[in-house]
Amino acid sequence: MEVGIRGWGAYIPRFRLSAQEIAALWGYDSRLPKALGIVEKSVAEEDEDSVTMGWYAARVAMRRAGVGGDDIDAVFFGTESKPYAVKPSATIIADALGVKKRKLASDLEFACRAAGEGVRISVGLVKSGLARNALVIGSDTAQANPGDLLDFTASSGAVAFVIGSGSSSAAAIEASVTYVTDTPDFWRRDRSPYPEHAEIFTGEPAYFHHIVSAVRLLLEETGLKVGDFDYAIFHQPNGRFPLQVARSLGIPQEKVAPGLVTPYIGNTYNASALLGLAKVLEEARPGSRILVATFGSGAGSDAFSIVVRDSVLELVKKGPRVVDMVNFKVQVTYGEYSKFRGLLLRNVGG
Amino acid sequence: MKLSAPQFWRVRENQYKLVITICGDCGKKVVFKRPTCPYCGSGRVEYAESAGVGVVEEFTKVYFKRDSSEDRLPEVVGVVRLGEGVRVVGEIVSIRDSEVREGMEVEAVLRKYVSDDPYGIIYYGIKFKPV
Repeated sequence: MEVGIRGWGAYIPRFRLSAQEIAALWGYDSRLPKALGIVEKSVAEEDEDSVTMGWYAARVAMRRAGVGGDDIDAVFFGTESKPYAVKPSATIIADALGVKKRKLASDLEFACRAAGEGVRISVGLVKSGLARNALVIGSDTAQANPGDLLDFTASSGAVAFVIGSGSSSAAAIEASVTYVTDTPDFWRRDRSPYPEHAEIFTGEPAYFHHIVSAVRLLLEETGLKVGDFDYAIFHQPNGRFPLQVARSLGIPQEKVAPGLVTPYIGNTYNASALLGLAKVLEEARPGSRILVATFGSGAGSDAFSIVVRDSVLELVKKGPRVVDMVNFKVQVTYGEYSKFRGLLLRNVGG
Repeated sequence: MKLSAPQFWRVRENQYKLVITICGDCGKKVVFKRPTCPYCGSGRVEYAESAGVGVVEEFTKVYFKRDSSEDRLPEVVGVVRLGEGVRVVGEIVSIRDSEVREGMEVEAVLRKYVSDDPYGIIYYGIKFKPV
């Protein structure tokens, strides 16, 4: 049985903060944004969180898939910015979308790759016959300590997929594999408002090792070569890492560029690589083969081989495109960003 | 401001979705799920979910609130005529104040209304953003 992506949707907040403004405010060299490959980042409003953004992306994904609430048997919500530390977010989104009560629903946490694992779990559920369709959402309002290097990239956005079977899929997920170890490159302790990271340790032993290992496993298991892929999409903590990991795998930059979103909207964490996949689905020709590798600190990577089907051309028209959301933007100042993201301490209510 | 979790839970369908009540007797439509028709009092009503797309008919700017959502002030509130013909009042989001105008096309989005910070419930509901 072929299992694939029946529908997809994305959400990118409209507001953008310029990386140059961040550099100027915190006294960084003005060449740093270019070195990080970041122009600006998307900023969610005060009344947005991972639930509201995930709801939008999921609604579009269900519309594209042509499924209603009664057709969804599982909802997985991948995030590291849950509005509640305890209380599922998946249930809020499911109820707001009218998904039936007889379903699986849970939040997954594995830094930036929880949604990638959600896709793999969903493929397993559909293949085994335990679910007809599963809704997977990756959504984050990423936090960064103001003035930290992460402040340049930590942004907000969401992506969602309906995973199911049948010939009407937009794309078939022909193979997937996950590579996971205990690597402390990035973390956030309970009650800490911002994450900590291990500086350069986040690169070689974490991001690069796990993505390269997952991709090599995928190639070994499928017999595919990197040249068999028309597109390659990697997790995008900044604009540079995906290009560097592609180089080390022997993949040319022109196969990576179409799925790069971080330079224009920042790192949307759980949406990052999968938002790149959504963008490529909206541009790729049927028959194209896409390599996707997520990454989550802690650390792990899921590698997928995805083949675009004919239906994709019709499904693109049924919802807003990623590129349109990237371009529909308004600039904000660091002051507005601070207000939007609740970085200012005020007495309210009462 | 402390809201009641059970009270919100009972009405969440009207908060999470734009449900339209359609009267089986007088034929009129009204926003929100209601047990009876507010125009003729008939209990013969049916429900349909709005597609969530409409246009701004009127709008104003709000400068004062006391419901724990003051962080968003000032905010724009508008009367939106939905594609199904009914009108609903809602906040207009994802805009600069100067951008909002009558006739502007908008779509329904789920957003946070208020929140019993820092330990209470977050209340979500429908607002409108430009298409």
